[in-house]
Amino acid sequence: MTTIQPAAPLPGMSFWQGTRRSFTTMVRKNGFGLIALVILALVILGPLYSVVLWAFAERWRYPSLIPNEFGLKFWEQTFSRADILEALPFSIVLALTVTALSAVICLPASYAFARMRFRGRQALLLSFLATNAFPRFGLYVSIAVIFFRLNLVGTVPGVIMIQLVNTLLLMIWIPTAAFQGVDRSLEEAALDVGASPLRVFIQITLPMVMPALAAALLLTFVNTFYEAQGALIVGLPRVVTMPVLMYSLINSQLVVQYGAIVSVVLWLPSLLLLLMAQRLLRGGYLTAGFGV
Amino acid sequence: MAKLDIVQLTKRFGSVTAVSEASFTVQDSEFMCILGPSGCGKSTLLRMIAGFESATGGDMQIDGESITELPANKRPTAMVFQKYTLWPHMTVYDNIAFGLGLRHLPRATIEKKVHDSLDLVSLSGYEKRFPAQLSGGQQQRVALARAIVLEPKILLLDEPFSSLDAILRVRLREELKRIQRRLKITAIFVTHDQEEALSLADRIAVMNSGRIEQLDHPSTIYANPETLFVADFIGAMNLLKANAQGSSLRVGSKTLPLPDGSIVNGETTIALRPEDLVLVSDTYTGAGEIWKANVDQIMDLGHYRKVLVDVPDVGELKIFIAKSAHINEGDTISLVPARYLVYGQHGSPIEVNRLARPDSQAVQ
Repeated sequence: MTTIQPAAPLPGMSFWQGTRRSFTTMVRKNGFGLIALVILALVILGPLYSVVLWAFAERWRYPSLIPNEFGLKFWEQTFSRADILEALPFSIVLALTVTALSAVICLPASYAFARMRFRGRQALLLSFLATNAFPRFGLYVSIAVIFFRLNLVGTVPGVIMIQLVNTLLLMIWIPTAAFQGVDRSLEEAALDVGASPLRVFIQITLPMVMPALAAALLLTFVNTFYEAQGALIVGLPRVVTMPVLMYSLINSQLVVQYGAIVSVVLWLPSLLLLLMAQRLLRGGYLTAGFGV
Repeated sequence: MAKLDIVQLTKRFGSVTAVSEASFTVQDSEFMCILGPSGCGKSTLLRMIAGFESATGGDMQIDGESITELPANKRPTAMVFQKYTLWPHMTVYDNIAFGLGLRHLPRATIEKKVHDSLDLVSLSGYEKRFPAQLSGGQQQRVALARAIVLEPKILLLDEPFSSLDAILRVRLREELKRIQRRLKITAIFVTHDQEEALSLADRIAVMNSGRIEQLDHPSTIYANPETLFVADFIGAMNLLKANAQGSSLRVGSKTLPLPDGSIVNGETTIALRPEDLVLVSDTYTGAGEIWKANVDQIMDLGHYRKVLVDVPDVGELKIFIAKSAHINEGDTISLVPARYLVYGQHGSPIEVNRLARPDSQAVQ
């Protein structure tokens, strides 16, 4: 018979003990920071908590802290609504289209901003701040007036155009900084061993700016997907995106759950993209390149 | 392995002339150094040969064929840069194989060449590392391997070791020389470090404000600097203002002879190497003028001593003396200027050799 070895302490136990110890020292040493952390968590997570609970609540009456009845009844109802079934895929395709168009317009421009010296470069670069320097709504209203004359109000191209305005700042500034960050001598070294300028761009410059470009594309997609003001003013009544639909669901519906469920669903794309971004930033050469 | 001809090569940036009508030839498998202070145009000259800067005027030929109009990626040159320029997103292997891949070589050939070149720079086994995982010295070795693996006709090096520490710099210098000799590759090495140039080069081109002041073998440049700039820039040198009158030179209250028939007159500068000021005994009666000097400061530099002395009416001079000589700070010693060069306003310097080394008389 084999003798039973005295059980080694469970790895989990020592882990928890260690955690508890470090937790108490943390409280003692860093009480203020901890309180700040708890308050922040409440402020940030509190509303989320309420929305998620509402999405899964079938009945939630006033004094109760949690819903009286959980269930997926409203999910079925929400996703049998024709407007939602139409708006969700449309919004995704629209956001992808705007992001792609923005990339086509802005990336070459940002390369030019980073690498070429031309008159008015600084002023032009700063001008992209202008769309963010004034109240959006006013800007959109005056654009809508022009669009109305051009018969663009209530059309998909109209919405695409007004959302493009929104993407300019991010899609120009982030890639410009990234291209500027690529050391010229790295490109010269590639030219030197015989690579054509196009190949240098594709195989040397692009891989090095890729993380920044990916971040810019990602932010642009997420921003566009959630953009409501421009779409609201230019798109209605015929073009309805998800955020616009959510506005009307929240404002004019007696059923709270519709709005809650739609917001939970709308989290998904950005959550997925953030996870992708994290993988992108963690994997391979990038970390090695920064010596992490 | 090739010959490079530079013909009246000029580069102007706006109104600034960076390189002014440089003309020289680098022979097959020669190791040429371009030496000069920062901003003298040496890097611009190299970058024109590599094709990163266009020439304002003049021509460059490799084996008789002009490369002046070729873009950088079509030139048979390869460069090692001053900064670390390995591509951070590629492994060591991919960095070296990149240029070979562009030449559509079979995979097995590429593999063999990459391994051979890594072996040459003593970095076998580092194929899978990323540049960030290498030290500075290792990165520059890989950069060297990346350049020589392409078997360029001309290897260009732009201060490749200047960001490394002193010990490593000397070691890589020796390694580079060994590799260059073994491959018999034609190389141009740009540096501001005279010691580096003197130890590496077959010939040195000394540059100053866009012009090549002198191009010659290291020993010739050291012994017979053509211009005052070269005299001052290469090695330690004492420069003294003097006045030439007929066949004599007045330095303060001292007089030194000039050879017969010298055509210098008026303002001149005397260049005296520290080792050419010979320490003699107080009873010395041989050839040459004896200068009495007060010892101000003695610096022990290992195998010899550098001594700062003050010669009344002449000024502060530095001399090199053997460790065996018994002198102390505050002593008065006797010196004989054994060999010096006299630079007039125009033309080549006049060399004056007063004595065939009075070693027998010198204080031991």
